[in-house]
Amino acid sequence: MTRTKYQETLGILKANIREMGKLSQDAIHNSVIALKNLDVNLAETVIDGDQVIDDYELRIEKCVSQIISLQSPTAGDMRLVTSCLKIAIDLERMSDLAFDIAQSTKRIEEEHIKPLIDIPKMAEIAENMLEQVMIAFANNDVKLAESVAKLDDEIDRTFYEVWKELITMMAQDENIINYASQLLFVIRYLERIGDHACNVCESVVYIASGKREELN
Amino acid sequence: MPEAYENGTEIEVKDLNLWYGDNHALHDISIDIPKNSVTAFIGPSGCGKSTFLRCLNRMNDLIPSCRIEGRVNINGEDIYSKETDVVDLRKRVGMVFQKPNPFPMSIFDNISYGPRIHGMSKKEMPAIVENALKSGALWKEVSDRLNVSALDLSGGQQQRLCIARTLAVKPEVILFDEPCSALDPISTSKIEDVILELKKKYTIVIVTHNMQQAARISDHTAFFLMGDLVEFDKTAQIFESPQEKATEDYITGRFG
Repeated sequence: MTRTKYQETLGILKANIREMGKLSQDAIHNSVIALKNLDVNLAETVIDGDQVIDDYELRIEKCVSQIISLQSPTAGDMRLVTSCLKIAIDLERMSDLAFDIAQSTKRIEEEHIKPLIDIPKMAEIAENMLEQVMIAFANNDVKLAESVAKLDDEIDRTFYEVWKELITMMAQDENIINYASQLLFVIRYLERIGDHACNVCESVVYIASGKREELN
Repeated sequence: MPEAYENGTEIEVKDLNLWYGDNHALHDISIDIPKNSVTAFIGPSGCGKSTFLRCLNRMNDLIPSCRIEGRVNINGEDIYSKETDVVDLRKRVGMVFQKPNPFPMSIFDNISYGPRIHGMSKKEMPAIVENALKSGALWKEVSDRLNVSALDLSGGQQQRLCIARTLAVKPEVILFDEPCSALDPISTSKIEDVILELKKKYTIVIVTHNMQQAARISDHTAFFLMGDLVEFDKTAQIFESPQEKATEDYITGRFG
């Protein structure tokens, strides 16, 4: 093996993506726990933590620029480096959406009308997608990335069900419009998180195989 | 192997094997090189890429222990047939070497030397020299001193002179054997610009150790390793998603 320093830098880049992925996953998890328990303090923690994830995106961007300008990556390395930039953007967007969920929690003034079940379920799938796609990323595992992307169908299905349910509830009782509209935003955010996870799956497939697949 | 070429095939090589004495240096090389485009040969030192390049204008004939089997057709003509006039072949298939090698004579004479021995008239010479130097992107720099010694030129200028000298005899193919390895980045850029311009009229084959150069200027790239042609494809494909692990390892610098 030659170009030791270069290989080390690629390793650091991959490690940064995985760490950022874990932070985004935690942000999604905590934002929905905060919503479920209407825990404003936990929501604040998610909001404050967003800066750390933004810093990761910047660090990855700098690392990618440096590798391109100093090392001229080609083939699999080039696919990894350019895709890391895209993955970092997806992860940053996911944590922004967790931030938005935390903001919605702060805007809800009343108690839950009924315990939240479907929303935590959507979040759980999204978290699982993110966790699994990070494993696929670490191992260049095309099959895993492709199977993870399929999980998004369940998020989309739940999104439409809950959306209909919330609209019906609002039509029946206009006093819950503020509350239900916040939840409408939340399910939309979770649905978008699933789409970003699919984007990451597509990036992993490209890194590992050179093929561009539409998985979303 | 890439699909059918836009401008057709210039050079067809089929099952070419080459030995230096007992050393089997090239193994069953088959490749179609497209017309009016740049084809790069890459690979680690000793992989056979320069040896193979020299098969394309029979430069290896000059090495006594060298034996070649297989077929090389240029524009449909078998260049290893008994009828082939090797001097005429090297006019049709010009070559530019790693180290600029101008003749120890004036700029004008360097260019006119080839056309003269190929029987072109003296009257035509000023126009031939001017056109060749223009195509070699050297005319503006030397037009007022055509009688000075070519050895007074800088390394980059000497290399462009060598390109112009090759062009003066109106070749069909130009072979470049690491033409920029002795040049600074500015001279390298000028040579690369010249090559990109030349491909409109000529078929270019270039051996280079500079991966980025191959990526920048070639349309197709062939990767050689230990006498085998490992992979040949469009340059964008080779540098984005090579099919062979050995190619990937080489171009990403994991060995070589």
